[in-house]
Amino acid sequence: MRLSVTDTKNAWMESWLEAQQSYWKSWADLARFGAKTPAMPKSPWAEGIDQWWQSLAPLAPPDGRAVFDKLMDMAKGYFGLAERFVTDRADKNDAMEVLNGWLEAMRQSWSAWRPGTAPLTAGNPLKDMMTFWDLPMDTWNRMAANIMPMPGDFTQAFHPEGAALGMGALHEQMNRFLSIPAVGYTREAQEQQQRLGQLAMDYAAATQAYQMAFAKLALETTQKFQRAMLQEAENGKPVGSLREIYDRWVGLAEAAYAEFVMTDEYRALYGRLVNSLLALKAQMARLVDEGLEALHMPTHAEISTLQRRQQELRRENLRLNKTLKGMQEQLTALLAQAPQTPLEKSVKPAAKTIVKPAAKRAAAPKIATRPASAASKSKSGGNKK
Amino acid sequence: MTPFDLTPEAVVEELTRYGQKLTHGMKNLMEVGEISTGVTPKTAVYSEDKLTLFRFNPPAETVQNKVPLLIVYALVNRPYMTDIQENRSTVKGLLDAGQDVYLIDWGYPDRADRYLSLDDYINGYLDRCVDVIRERHHLDQINLLGICQGGTFSLCYSALHPDKVKNLVTMVTPVDFQTPDNMLSHWVREVDVDLLVDTLGNVPGEMLNWTFLNLKPYQLMGQKYLGLLDTLDDPAALKNFLRMEKWIFDSPDQAGEAFRQFIKDFYQQNKLLKGGLQIGAPVNLKGVTMPVLNIFAEQDHLVPPDASRAMRGKLGTRDYTELSFPGGHIGIYVSGKAQKTVPPAIGKWLNERG
Repeated sequence: MRLSVTDTKNAWMESWLEAQQSYWKSWADLARFGAKTPAMPKSPWAEGIDQWWQSLAPLAPPDGRAVFDKLMDMAKGYFGLAERFVTDRADKNDAMEVLNGWLEAMRQSWSAWRPGTAPLTAGNPLKDMMTFWDLPMDTWNRMAANIMPMPGDFTQAFHPEGAALGMGALHEQMNRFLSIPAVGYTREAQEQQQRLGQLAMDYAAATQAYQMAFAKLALETTQKFQRAMLQEAENGKPVGSLREIYDRWVGLAEAAYAEFVMTDEYRALYGRLVNSLLALKAQMARLVDEGLEALHMPTHAEISTLQRRQQELRRENLRLNKTLKGMQEQLTALLAQAPQTPLEKSVKPAAKTIVKPAAKRAAAPKIATRPASAASKSKSGGNKK
Repeated sequence: MTPFDLTPEAVVEELTRYGQKLTHGMKNLMEVGEISTGVTPKTAVYSEDKLTLFRFNPPAETVQNKVPLLIVYALVNRPYMTDIQENRSTVKGLLDAGQDVYLIDWGYPDRADRYLSLDDYINGYLDRCVDVIRERHHLDQINLLGICQGGTFSLCYSALHPDKVKNLVTMVTPVDFQTPDNMLSHWVREVDVDLLVDTLGNVPGEMLNWTFLNLKPYQLMGQKYLGLLDTLDDPAALKNFLRMEKWIFDSPDQAGEAFRQFIKDFYQQNKLLKGGLQIGAPVNLKGVTMPVLNIFAEQDHLVPPDASRAMRGKLGTRDYTELSFPGGHIGIYVSGKAQKTVPPAIGKWLNERG
């Protein structure tokens, strides 16, 4: 029998699945009995699923690949959670100890996190479960990268030693440096560069403040999660699957998030994040324009002026066309109503004019079709159309 | 009592099931083919700049309402959501309910469109589309169906041009932009919109996507993909998921000036409700004198129901009807329940009013 390409792929995937299943079972047995060898990978399940996807991804159609990339990211987190559970369960007396161990690790991680260090969840043993706390900032960085000529997370480079010095002190030093009065022939250019530096610092501070707020929120959510799980246990409804743990975790996180983002604190953080990025981008554009002007090339500002004028001309043209059309229709209607001269009567019978709806209105005494209520309230409104 | 009823064996079993679903899902993914959207046959009847006005081909056996219905969709996403697939199509439901359906596709603005204003969109593009349809049908007035931001546009248009609108239907349309549960409104209050538009020109679709995803970040950026596993072994369900995913991330850039005015006048100053809105001429909701059907979704996280309900008592019409749908902002077009209830209700309401 001849196998098609699809059949071959399917057979290969089934074989992979069987092998993987056997591997997971063996590994779980080893972990359960406390066997640990230097050769054992840190995250065998998550790594296995990742390798599987890396080998198959090139075959995936473009429409589905991005979705599966996200699905695999989630899968790695999920598998990481499973590994953690199996390993910890082997070391601990009961599941309650496992839970407390997890939550303590999270609490310590978030309490210790400081602006200027790696992302919120990096290096954390439970980062797979916690990773979604980075999602808003991660997505923001991707978006920022799309509108800036530099990576979205470039602010990480501004404060490598921030955690050790304290951001306040570092920022103060930098601001002092950037405030040194510029002198000499290139004074204006120096000031522009200093301004750029200050705006970059402002943006870095805004991203840090945003992340700090999420670290605090994550810490609070951890405590809520602990209380919720204990409550479930007391009610005799223990969690029965990893998926259930994950879903409850997400549910609580989403509820905490929804509450937080409606506060004045978040509104200010959000505004600061957006405005500081835009101020930085605007200053970059200004500097680029100066360079373009020096090279006698069209600048962004000049093109923008031309675009505005072109749009104004277009509006005016459309308005004139509409007025002209209305006048033509009025003329047609008037001609149709005008009494004929004796000569016209003798030459041919009166033509029958079909008056279209628009022409009917044009022939009416009121030329403007704008509602009377709107027109009467606007002295300058006139006939806009 | 422990919080977990879990053993390592159970975890391995769970992972095995997960692995099976992934493997079988991969097979389906390989065979999924092209993701098509916009399924009902249609004809382009007018175009201008990036805009295209479509007329959907009516089913031959249905008796049609003589007054055509123009769907005005939002600028922020693509209008094929109303006709996303064969069994999830508001358009198809409206055709089956006897409506002669037109739809405006605003297209994808580029930097040359940066100075398009709300006046250009509402008193320009929209008004010309209405005129084209009136002339085609030799009618003074047509029916309008505005969706989301397109509903707000339709309300403004109807207030400014009541002589051209016979009946107005609004779906998930915000009128009060500052209800206490409106996240978007809360967030943008301190955003410097002038700086945003002056700096970026057009507002990138990616920025809007980030904002919308942040309404429910952990569900929309994480849990949703894990949930996909449950339907991965069903090729049709996988295709539906990919279709929705395509739509969610298909966000056109926003023409800068129109965006500036929309955010400042509507979200930051709530002028449609409070008064003072100027789009070519003053916009007064009391100018909306034609019959109005206002449809909103009870679990809408983008346009909270109260934002739509605020229309009640603010219009100039005496014929005002509300229809509350038990679902979300997207479910109102695509859910099975919506297919059975919403388009037939719109059709019935319009047919009763001639």
